[in-house]
Amino acid sequence: MSWQRLRTLLRREARASLRDPFTVGILVAVPLLAMVLFGFVLSTEVHGLRLAVLDGDASPASRRLIGDLRATGAFTLVPVRSRDEIELGLVDGRLGGAIVVPPGFGRDLAEGRTPEVNAIYDAAEAVLAGNAEGYVRGVVAATGARLAVRRPASGGGIAVVTSVLFNPTLAGVPFMVSGTFGFVLSFLAVLITAVTIVNERMAGTFEQLQVTPATTLEILLGKLLPMGGVFALDIALMMLAAGLLLGVWPNGSAAFFWIVSALYVLTTLSMGLIFSATSATAAEAVQKTVIFSIPIVQLSGFAFPIRNMPGWLQWVTECFPATHYIRISRAIYLRGEGPLDLWPELLILAAFGALQVTVALRTMGART
Amino acid sequence: MSEPIIRTRGLSKRFGDFTAVDALDLAVEPGTIFAFLGGNGSGKSTTIRMLIGILEPTAGEIRVDGIDVVHTPRRVRDHIGYMGQKVSLYQGLSLRENVEFYAGLFGLAGAALERRWGALRERFDLAAAEGRRPEDLPAAIRQRAGLALSMLHEPRVLFLDEPTAGVDVRSRSLFWDVIQEEAAGGTTVFVTTHFVEEADSCDWVAFIDAGKLIADAPPEALRERFSDGYRVTVRGGDPRAAAAALTAAGLAVESAPDAVRGTAPGLPPGALAELERLRARQPDAHVEVQQPAMTDVFRRVLTDAPRPA
Repeated sequence: MSWQRLRTLLRREARASLRDPFTVGILVAVPLLAMVLFGFVLSTEVHGLRLAVLDGDASPASRRLIGDLRATGAFTLVPVRSRDEIELGLVDGRLGGAIVVPPGFGRDLAEGRTPEVNAIYDAAEAVLAGNAEGYVRGVVAATGARLAVRRPASGGGIAVVTSVLFNPTLAGVPFMVSGTFGFVLSFLAVLITAVTIVNERMAGTFEQLQVTPATTLEILLGKLLPMGGVFALDIALMMLAAGLLLGVWPNGSAAFFWIVSALYVLTTLSMGLIFSATSATAAEAVQKTVIFSIPIVQLSGFAFPIRNMPGWLQWVTECFPATHYIRISRAIYLRGEGPLDLWPELLILAAFGALQVTVALRTMGART
Repeated sequence: MSEPIIRTRGLSKRFGDFTAVDALDLAVEPGTIFAFLGGNGSGKSTTIRMLIGILEPTAGEIRVDGIDVVHTPRRVRDHIGYMGQKVSLYQGLSLRENVEFYAGLFGLAGAALERRWGALRERFDLAAAEGRRPEDLPAAIRQRAGLALSMLHEPRVLFLDEPTAGVDVRSRSLFWDVIQEEAAGGTTVFVTTHFVEEADSCDWVAFIDAGKLIADAPPEALRERFSDGYRVTVRGGDPRAAAAALTAAGLAVESAPDAVRGTAPGLPPGALAELERLRARQPDAHVEVQQPAMTDVFRRVLTDAPRPA
């Protein structure tokens, strides 16, 4: 081996890499981004989860329990007056869980009985529900033990009875299945389309297409619709596979889910076309897709609960169409919701779709 | 002189600090073959991309077949045919499927397509290649097919960006035959080429260097201005009669022991007729005419032509 040759090779490689801003960006930004984001989203800790509190006892003991829950910092407590309010908040996503302290809680505790508090979670968010339940049980057990020490007559502490909405067995498979649609449609659809225009441009056919009477909209639809058709078929096959092999069928309308998913595909295909139209090579388009997929995995709620992320990051997650699609997907699959329940999310998704198709049109039609 | 079918005024394109095309004024007469010559990176392809409306100029005006290409680039597409440096055939589709695809975009189908494609297929000798995919075809056939496709919708103006690059001599000759036939039929052809000698097949030649137009004239006019001129050598026969004929043809004559030689900046038809008469009167005389090579003209243009400010 010649050190001189090796040095020559190393110098060239270093120069070439460092002079390409895109490569430098990837080399520096992606590891940092991954580290920071994983740090935030992979934690099993519960931060600021909005927990409804229905204090039916309003005794010193119940206030002590509520004070202990607040003191953990894990929960942002939201006082409510009824169970209906709890259910509504869980459905529309304002609440991550609830705790119900029954009337007579303090008296039972003082008389040595073991009172039961009811913890309620939206188990459609199975991971979050699991984490939150652990926290609540820990706090309740500690409070119960302290109160029992103060009152030697009381023997039993406090019991926690857990109720879950929408996914009573806290099964992870439906949660993951409904999220997987979001991941596959977001990542694969973008990846497939990301190379189409750039490949055509490199082959010379895109330039030729530009001098035909075909309009940019026609060219865009000519690319989106056939690919959209294939993915629409994919969605149906995935739904069948999830149902037949994993036993997970949508609780809501399968047709509604299929239509929403097919429309979402047009959004992600547009994103792929934007990457393609703004890349000089197929490799660059693929790199952009991979970078795009990192936030999808980390921030869209596919695997990690958004409600467990810091507030500012939760706002960031709202900027990803995948976040809204996955939310809709889980709402249909796990909670059986329909268009009337989901219209705000559907509107947001439609707005993203319109925006991305418009940007794709502009980038494809741009005269450089 | 008729109204130019292609006209640019002050056409410029800058990429950041780099000026690719600088205040270009061009005028192309209808039904002519206009050669646009220049070295690598001189601005040829940038100019052609602006003329066909896929690259937005930084400044200047473009009119093609009466259409304002700068402001309404899409409108020009029905009027033009284009063949880029890369042959634009879709891999995975047969040549016939490629033809149907592009024809469909121009609204050409059915009997009209069969008639037009049938003629082009014959003219470009593509019948055997019709069912094959581009990736299985030799480069020369792909290039011929690309040219045929650019003419499928019978455009009024044909833009060809180095159409003969990488093709064999036979195909190059076929290309130029076809181009001249198209021009004879009224189509205007705007062509860039690296083969400077091909300028002789054109009616007008423009040279571009570093984005600036440095010469713009018919090939013969460029020869007269940027070469040492034609050289005519007469060997055998009567040297005095030969010298008289060359003088009558307008050449500056010099005698050598073995031959009579004459030079002139150009050879107008009258001069050629005089040489023909000499040949007829003196069958023993061998008359050799040396035309200045266009490559030498190009070289001289690059060194001698005044640069616009």
